[in-house]
Amino acid sequence: MKPKRKSRELSVPAGSGAYRQGVRQADEVIAQNDAEIRPDNWQQLVLDWFAPHEPDRSALAQYISTYRDQIGVAWAREVLRLQVFFEAQDYERIVEHYDRAFRSYPRCALIELWVAGYILRTRGDFWRVRQMYWNAAAELPSFAKPHYELGFVNYLLGDFPGALEQFDQAVVLVAADDAELGSRIFYNRGLVRMALQGDQEAARADVEEALRRRPDYAQAKEALRAMKGKARWVPW
Amino acid sequence: MVNHKPRLELRMRSYPTRASAERSALMEIEFSINAPGAKGEPSMAEMVWSTGDLQRALANLPPIVPPRVRREFQRLLQPWPQGRYVDAYRRSGGILNLFTPPWDERQDEVWSKLLTAWKTKTLGDETSRQSALAQLEQQWNNTPHPFFAGLTPAQVMVGGGPQEAKLAGEFLTHVERTLAKRAFEGEGDALIKTLLLLRGWQVDPQRNGQTPMRIILAERGELLVRRTHSLAAARS
Repeated sequence: MKPKRKSRELSVPAGSGAYRQGVRQADEVIAQNDAEIRPDNWQQLVLDWFAPHEPDRSALAQYISTYRDQIGVAWAREVLRLQVFFEAQDYERIVEHYDRAFRSYPRCALIELWVAGYILRTRGDFWRVRQMYWNAAAELPSFAKPHYELGFVNYLLGDFPGALEQFDQAVVLVAADDAELGSRIFYNRGLVRMALQGDQEAARADVEEALRRRPDYAQAKEALRAMKGKARWVPW
Repeated sequence: MVNHKPRLELRMRSYPTRASAERSALMEIEFSINAPGAKGEPSMAEMVWSTGDLQRALANLPPIVPPRVRREFQRLLQPWPQGRYVDAYRRSGGILNLFTPPWDERQDEVWSKLLTAWKTKTLGDETSRQSALAQLEQQWNNTPHPFFAGLTPAQVMVGGGPQEAKLAGEFLTHVERTLAKRAFEGEGDALIKTLLLLRGWQVDPQRNGQTPMRIILAERGELLVRRTHSLAAARS
């Protein structure tokens, strides 16, 4: 279980000094949660804070085991700070911290997988993000998320066949109990099937599957209603 | 051909990124090049294709056109190369590609794969190797490219026509109306929301039952046919 942490809204202004202020605030949050990072506990702390659940936990443990000699207490501190920024949903700080603090460490596909979406939403750097997802797809072959994200990026680029290919792979890999990701994969695959082939029947089946996995999925409900009305269902 | 009564139009438009705003100016120039005169006279592009006389076509531009824009016209009206249309990387790609972040040969995984296959293939003499390379270049020119939103590089080179110009105007107005008062997490977020609108719009059937994407592809295909005919007529 992920430890219950005291978290708080980080309120830092924009600017270069703001980053250091954000880091100080993150350190305060870490201290308030009694997380003293030491040579004998840094691995456990990182796993508990950043990757409390499978399959992330095993992937991160594998990374730690591979690069133990190159990472350590300092790296663990950066991961915990990153996690604080994640919990505060501080988009700018997540991206800035990742770019500043992790440059000198071996690339971690799991961290990249989680940071890439924030880089996309703040900077719009599609090409960098796309490469990060490709790395994650190659290095975390059992994960559905990199394929889902690649499908989304390909869709944005207007590459519908490429998007469908990635969503198909994500459908195969997604865990049956991952309702959140599973429903989004099916919903988006339906959208692409409709866009690419005009295949309303297949699209509807995917949206229904998305709703079966997450009955409160508002966008899927809306899409299904629109499909019953007329051919267009992408809400724009 | 440019209308002989110069007309100055000022329009305010909002774009999610600076790159897309700049590309929209290029897109408008490409539209102008393919626009027939008010009485059905040939477009500037057709004039150059059929006579090879670039200066005569440029002479039709009103004097008010600034030198920088004039140079863009000149660049776009240059004869196409025999081999790969690398200038496609520097064309707008029209409305379907207006918001795609800038990319070039370094990101072009399609060409990279073709080239790698060519390099590893065992071919007899140098003539055979060069002939195989020339074939690959033509293959690249005429195959829908995922990063050009499904347009072929040749379709990108030829630019958009009057129908696409009209559709682009409609879409840009639609984006402004839809996203004008929305708040965004960052430039990337604005870009994503705009692209989601675009990808939904491009496959949404118009009043005539055709989707914008189909109309755009058909028009660009038609322009390529006219180019082929004009060049053939000029040679005979």
